[in-house]
Amino acid sequence: MGRLSWRLARVAEVRPETSRVASLALDVPGWDGHLAGQHVDLRLTAEDGYQAERSYSIASAPDGQRVELTVERLDDGEVSPYLAGELREGDQFELRGPIGGYFVWEPGLGGPLLLIAGGSGVVPLMAMLRHRAASGSQAPTRLLYSSRTLEDVIFRDELERLAAAGDGLTVTHTLTRAQPPGWRGYARRVDAVMLEEVGWRPDERPLAYVCGPTRLVEAVAGALVALGHDPARVRTERFGPTGVE
Amino acid sequence: MDEADLRLDGNHVAGLLAEVFQFDMTVEWSGCAACGARNQLGALQVYAHGMGAVLCCPGCGQTLLRIARGGGRWWLDLRGMAWLQLDEGARLPD
Repeated sequence: MGRLSWRLARVAEVRPETSRVASLALDVPGWDGHLAGQHVDLRLTAEDGYQAERSYSIASAPDGQRVELTVERLDDGEVSPYLAGELREGDQFELRGPIGGYFVWEPGLGGPLLLIAGGSGVVPLMAMLRHRAASGSQAPTRLLYSSRTLEDVIFRDELERLAAAGDGLTVTHTLTRAQPPGWRGYARRVDAVMLEEVGWRPDERPLAYVCGPTRLVEAVAGALVALGHDPARVRTERFGPTGVE
Repeated sequence: MDEADLRLDGNHVAGLLAEVFQFDMTVEWSGCAACGARNQLGALQVYAHGMGAVLCCPGCGQTLLRIARGGGRWWLDLRGMAWLQLDEGARLPD
């Protein structure tokens, strides 16, 4: 099982994204690329032999040897406090992948694209946006991104830059818990009205990718179908209560 | 938090399923033995735990596949699945 055997990944760089989120750039010998939206399984082994496995989405565009994961630290998590807190350059752990061809986007699939993220659910969608930009795709794309506060927005600057490139990407934020003074954007959970205002009309036949906590994903997918979108063009990835742990 | 919060989807168990099947199971199609719905495994609802997972029909909730792993063995229960289609194009490279 070439692609799904466990291999040793080495941390090349740790980059904080927010106070709770870090990106890990990994060197994985023998890595032969991935598709935007795929994930990897990680396996950590304690000194007493206890093992914990978790899945994490790949954040980077498919380009060569390096793989980037972006991990949110969950305070009661078993694995993420280590990944997004203690891990340092040069550390190693086991990884297998890339895995999963269901929640992926390639430029050949075209658009329009409707990407909807809750919290760290933005990670696989970021891989799609990075891949879209790197490949020169002009697929009309709208990202609707729900975060608790402005400080919790992952990839904020990069999203701003990507949206400013003028190649057909718009980024809309909603902040559900607290908003900075003068905030003019949305300030509530994603709902059907917001999806109608931000998203595409059903007759424009967008491809929708929804990723985040289970409740958000199910509410959004349900609302999209109720608005008349083709269920077969709505792809979902649930992260569980607040994350995969 | 209730049971619904713990629901994941088929993407989550792609790695576990790939230990048994030499295919990317998230893109393979299945039929529900209860309601007849056709779904790719990536679209199924999943309840996962340390030793394995239960995959359910998103339409009617029928248990389609149970998988558990332990002691160097895998157990599979496919009673709830009417059929499973494996596409050569989704075969994982050796």
